[in-house]
Amino acid sequence: MENRKGHELDSLNNGEFTFSNDTLKQDLSLLMKALDSSISGIILTDNQQPDNPIIYCNKAFERITGYQRHEIIGHNCRFLQKEDRNQKERAVLRNAVKEGKECVVEMRNYQKNGTLFWNELYMSPIKDEQGNVCYFIGVQNDVTRRKKAEQELLHQQDVMEAQISERTKSLKESEDYLSSIVQTVRESLVVLNPDFKVLSVNEHFLKTFKVGKEETEGRLLYDLGNGQWNIPQLKELLENILPTNNPVEEFEVEHDFPHIGKKLMLLNAHRIELEGQYKDRILIAIEDITDRREIERRKDDFLSIASHELKTPLTTIKGYVQIMQRLLPSDISDKFKDILKKTGIYVERLNTLIADLLDMSRIQTGNIELHRETFDFDKAIHEAVENIQAATKTHQIIIKGSATNSYTGDESHIVQVINNLLSNAIKYSPESDEVEVYLSKVSNFLKVAVKDKGMGIKIEDQKKIFDRFFRVGEIQQRFPGMGIGLYVCEQIIKNHGGTLWVESEFGQGSTFSFTLPLDERKSNVQ
Amino acid sequence: MYNKTILICDDDEGILDMLELILEETGYRIIPVKNSLLIYEEIEKQSPDLILLDLWMPVLSGDQVLRTLRKNPETNNIPVIVISASREGQRIANEAGADDFIAKPFDLDQLVNRVQKLIAA
Repeated sequence: MENRKGHELDSLNNGEFTFSNDTLKQDLSLLMKALDSSISGIILTDNQQPDNPIIYCNKAFERITGYQRHEIIGHNCRFLQKEDRNQKERAVLRNAVKEGKECVVEMRNYQKNGTLFWNELYMSPIKDEQGNVCYFIGVQNDVTRRKKAEQELLHQQDVMEAQISERTKSLKESEDYLSSIVQTVRESLVVLNPDFKVLSVNEHFLKTFKVGKEETEGRLLYDLGNGQWNIPQLKELLENILPTNNPVEEFEVEHDFPHIGKKLMLLNAHRIELEGQYKDRILIAIEDITDRREIERRKDDFLSIASHELKTPLTTIKGYVQIMQRLLPSDISDKFKDILKKTGIYVERLNTLIADLLDMSRIQTGNIELHRETFDFDKAIHEAVENIQAATKTHQIIIKGSATNSYTGDESHIVQVINNLLSNAIKYSPESDEVEVYLSKVSNFLKVAVKDKGMGIKIEDQKKIFDRFFRVGEIQQRFPGMGIGLYVCEQIIKNHGGTLWVESEFGQGSTFSFTLPLDERKSNVQ
Repeated sequence: MYNKTILICDDDEGILDMLELILEETGYRIIPVKNSLLIYEEIEKQSPDLILLDLWMPVLSGDQVLRTLRKNPETNNIPVIVISASREGQRIANEAGADDFIAKPFDLDQLVNRVQKLIAA
């Protein structure tokens, strides 16, 4: 035992360790165990031997590198780099060895099986009393995971930067796209800052108002063109209406511009409420309706004149027909009497057509005037039905239910609607002998439904029957007329704040219904 | 027998003829005036008991005529019935001071009734 211990001590002495007794040996053994239980790989290299070979490695080094001790001892630690020899960290290491300094590097190393791992290597020299570097101690940690995380972070940054530049590009594109839309619309657009300075205008604005971009953008709206935009109605809109009623739509402004003349404009104004850099900017879209209004006016004039001129000879014809009836000799044939009567009926029809034509034109241009008065609705319907019934021998008109005895609206218009619906119901149900009228009150609406058992209306035609001049195909042949009745009816009901609709099945009859709001405040809104 | 006189002023000859026919038939003396510019002269010459007046006439319109008549004390009291195919006829007639308004085309019985009523008054 003694000998063996002495022998072991001798061998250790070769490595410059000096042990004087068993305690030190025990300490060494503990130290070795401690080194082996470290999770960091630890090596010693002997700088006094050629190529600085590894003379010690702990267990962790074996585990990290995948090599066994016998494959490690004697090698220079560059064997861990395998073929990956161009890492710049090598220069740092070389320099540290040369200078006898400590250093820390992160290098790509390879396990025995070729798996890459990132080695964080701490290298520190051990010097003798003269300052010669005898050994190096290397402590290495596998930082692959950290490195990976770092690289992923870097990659994420790159991706993010790419995305940002992509989005910036796409933002720019969408800005350009939007701007090209704004420049293309055939309506003038102006953007103002909260102090009514013009931030931008589109091409159409410049064209319509015959101004240049440079004399427009950056100026106060009211100052544009030597103050020709200083329009009281516009001021009212921007300063008094818009702050409390946002957005404002279809605001009509009429103004006589010094150079371009009188313009009638419809304005939509929108103050941006969205928090952010655009807040309180004001967008104004200007539609120039000067020409449109003028055309509408001319058309109205034309129709008024046409209707007047048509009615004048009609008056004479009607008069003469009546005179003829009056002066009819007593011995005249029934056939002649019948002809005369029919002449009278068709003259009357012509008169109705002329009146319809004018009605339609007025309703279409919104020039129809409602004469609102409170009247007994049910009574008016009953009277209208009686009148039609008196002239109708083929059908029985039955009224059911009741709506209201007090409705505020234009009685003559409502009666016109009822007359129209009833005469349609009769006209288009020649095979039937009954038409029903239902009166009812639904919530705060009154409802009238006119139901016939006639030919019905195909589903595809149901929407179109409210169009001007639309007449269902073969109907045109069998039942002459202008085809504006339902159009006028719908406009009248709309003007009263109600709706008119049809429910029908082809061959099963049709029900035309309309509702009218009973609450007066609501009926005035529209 | 003294027949009451009705002056009819309308630029449309058909209506003038027709009205003349029916009203003469009813028993009135008729003064047809086609050109409204001549109406004052006729009124002065013949002092009609009633005037049937069209609105839309060239040069001098019915409402202008009516306003002039109403301003003049001599003609101020002559009953005037406006007959017109204009949609605004009723309003224009009222504003100008007409005694009655009849829309064209009218019913002859209705016209004759109104004429008789106003002339009798």
